[in-house]
Amino acid sequence: MTSLWLAWRTVQRYRARTLLAMAGVAVIGALLFDMLLLSHGLVASFADLLNHSGYDVRVFSAQGVLLARTPIPHASELSAALERLPEVDSVARIRLARATTVGENGSDLEVAVVGSSHTGARVAWRVTKGADLPIDAGSADRCSVLAGRNLAAALKLQPGATLPMRAGARGEGSALPTVPCRVVGIAESPFTAAGEYDVLTTMQGLHEIGGGSIEPDSADLVFVASRADSGSAAAVRAIAALRPDMRVYSNDDVIEQFNRNGFAYFRQISFVLSSITVVFTFLLVATILTVSTNQRLGEIAALRALGISRRRIAAMVLWESVLIVGGGGLVALPLGGLVAIGLDRILKQMPGVPDALHFFVFESNAVALHAVLLATTAVVAAGYPIWLTARLPIASTLRREVIG
Amino acid sequence: MTSAARPIVEARGVSRVFPMPAGPVTALRDVTLRIDAAEYVAITGPSGCGKSTLLHLIGCVDAPTSGSIVFEDRDVRALSEPERSRIRLTRIGFVFQRFFLLPMLTARENVELPQAEAGVAAAARRARADALLDYVGLGDRADHLPSQLSGGEMQRAAIARALANRPALLVADEPTGELDEETGMHVADLFDRVHADGTAILVVTHNAALAERASRRLSMKSGALVG
Repeated sequence: MTSLWLAWRTVQRYRARTLLAMAGVAVIGALLFDMLLLSHGLVASFADLLNHSGYDVRVFSAQGVLLARTPIPHASELSAALERLPEVDSVARIRLARATTVGENGSDLEVAVVGSSHTGARVAWRVTKGADLPIDAGSADRCSVLAGRNLAAALKLQPGATLPMRAGARGEGSALPTVPCRVVGIAESPFTAAGEYDVLTTMQGLHEIGGGSIEPDSADLVFVASRADSGSAAAVRAIAALRPDMRVYSNDDVIEQFNRNGFAYFRQISFVLSSITVVFTFLLVATILTVSTNQRLGEIAALRALGISRRRIAAMVLWESVLIVGGGGLVALPLGGLVAIGLDRILKQMPGVPDALHFFVFESNAVALHAVLLATTAVVAAGYPIWLTARLPIASTLRREVIG
Repeated sequence: MTSAARPIVEARGVSRVFPMPAGPVTALRDVTLRIDAAEYVAITGPSGCGKSTLLHLIGCVDAPTSGSIVFEDRDVRALSEPERSRIRLTRIGFVFQRFFLLPMLTARENVELPQAEAGVAAAARRARADALLDYVGLGDRADHLPSQLSGGEMQRAAIARALANRPALLVADEPTGELDEETGMHVADLFDRVHADGTAILVVTHNAALAERASRRLSMKSGALVG
C-alpha cells in the first residue's frame, strides 16, 4: 500500500476527471514536444543537409557580399592547388545560374542551373532514371543535363529528351540563343525546394547555356572534402593560408552562422511557446489537483486523525500529479509527432526551402527534455495541494465537514 | 479490575479558545477528565457545548490553549507532530460521524491502510483485516467499495479500521449521527463488544440510547463538564 498505489487507485476512482486532465496535458504536451523539436530540429536538419553533399568545407571568393559573391576566376587552377594540400581529399567546383526553358503550354519556365565539375553522384544528385552526367573532358554533348525531379515531372521528361535552355531569368529579354540540352537522366537533389525546377549540368554545359557568357573555368563556390585524419578545421586553416584572398568556411562554421542569425527566430518562438505550454500545464494540473484536494479535505483530515503521516499523504498527491502528467505526457509524444509532421509539411511549402530540410526533427534529447520539463511541472504543480494537505488543521476540518 | 485504575489519557484543566474574526470563542473551560484502560465513557450535551472539541483533544488531533493532555504518561503538548501521529496510529482508533472511508478502496483495503502505515506485513494485515471485518459482521463484504455498502455497513467497516492496530482507546464522534435508530443500535452493540474485549471507548453523542451503554456518562454544557 504505497503512496503510488493509493494515487493510482485515486486516479482510477475519479476516471473522468483523470482522463480529462490527461487529455489536457496531452494536447499541451504535444505542443511543448513540437516546440522542442523545432528549437533544434532546423539546425540539425540543416547540418544534415550540408553534410549530405559529402563535402565539409566551402570556399568562396572574398569579393562581393554574402549571397552575391563574385565568381572565383581560374577555378580549375584553384582546385588543383587545393587538391595538393595534404589536408584535402577531393574538390568540386560549382557554378550557379538562372535559365529559362519552354513549359508545356509554351510559356517560359524558370530553371535553376547548377554547373558542376563532377558527376551528379559526387555532388549529392541521386540519379533515379537514366545515366549520370558525363565528366567534362569525355562528353560528346555540348550540353548534357540531369533534370531535377520537379522539372522532369512538369515537362514529362525522360532520359534522351531534349530540353531547350536559354540563360537568364523568366521575363528577362535576352538575345542569347536557345541551346538544345540533352537530358541524360532524372535525379533528385536534397537542396531542391518544393516547386523549384532545377538541372545539374557540366561546367561546359553551363557555358553553352550561357551562350559563352559564363566562363567555364569559374566557380561560385568550391566544395572541399577534408581528409578524415585531418578534419575540416585543419583543411580550413590550410586553405586560408594558401589562399588568403578566399573566404573559407567549414560546414560547422556555416551552421554556427545560421544558428546565430537565420534560425534565431525559430529558437525564440520555440522558447516562448515552450514556456507558455509549461505554464499552461502547470496551471491545468495545479488547478485540478487543488480542486480535487479541496473536495477531499474531510477524507484527508480523517486519514491524518487515523495516524496516516503527512509525508504519505503528500506523496500520494505528488504521485497523482505525476500519473496525470506522465499519462498525458506519454500520449503527447505520438500526438506531437503527428502534429510535427503536419506542420513540417506546411512550413516546407515556403519558397526556397529545400525538400530535405525539416523544421521538426525527432531527437532523443528532445524526448528527454520533454520528460524532464513535464516531470518538473508535475512536481511544482503538486506543490500547492501538498502544502494544503500538510498544513490542514485536522480538528477544525473534521468539525467543518460535519457541519457542512 | 486492576487495569481500570491505569489511566490511558487524562485531560488536566484543559481549555480551548478559537480565535475568530469577531473575537475569541472559548469552546472548553478548565475541563479535567481521566479515562482508564477498558473504560467506556459517553459524553452527551447540546450542540456546540464542546463535546467534539474535547474528543479532538483526547484523540491528539488538537492541542489545548491551556492545561495539558497526558496520554499514557506522555504530555501530548511536548510531542512533535510525527510523534502525535504515531500515537493516533497505534494507540487510538477514530470513528467519525461521516465514516470517511476512502472511496477508492474496498472495505478490506480501508482496514488494511492504518496497518500498512504502521509497517505490518501484507499477509498479516490482510488476515487482520479479514478477521476484523468478520468481527463487525462484514466478512462477506470485504471486497466491496464504500459506495456499495449501506450507512450502517460503512460505519462498521470504519470501526474495523479504527481497531486495525489494536488501539488502547477508541474515540467516536457521533458514530450514530448518520444512521437510523435500528442501525445505530447495531453500532452500539458493536461498541459493547469492543468494550467487552478490553478496549477503552470515549463516545461523544446525542444518542441517549448509545450513551446508556457506557459505564460512565458525562454531560457537558457551555464548554464545561457538568456531571
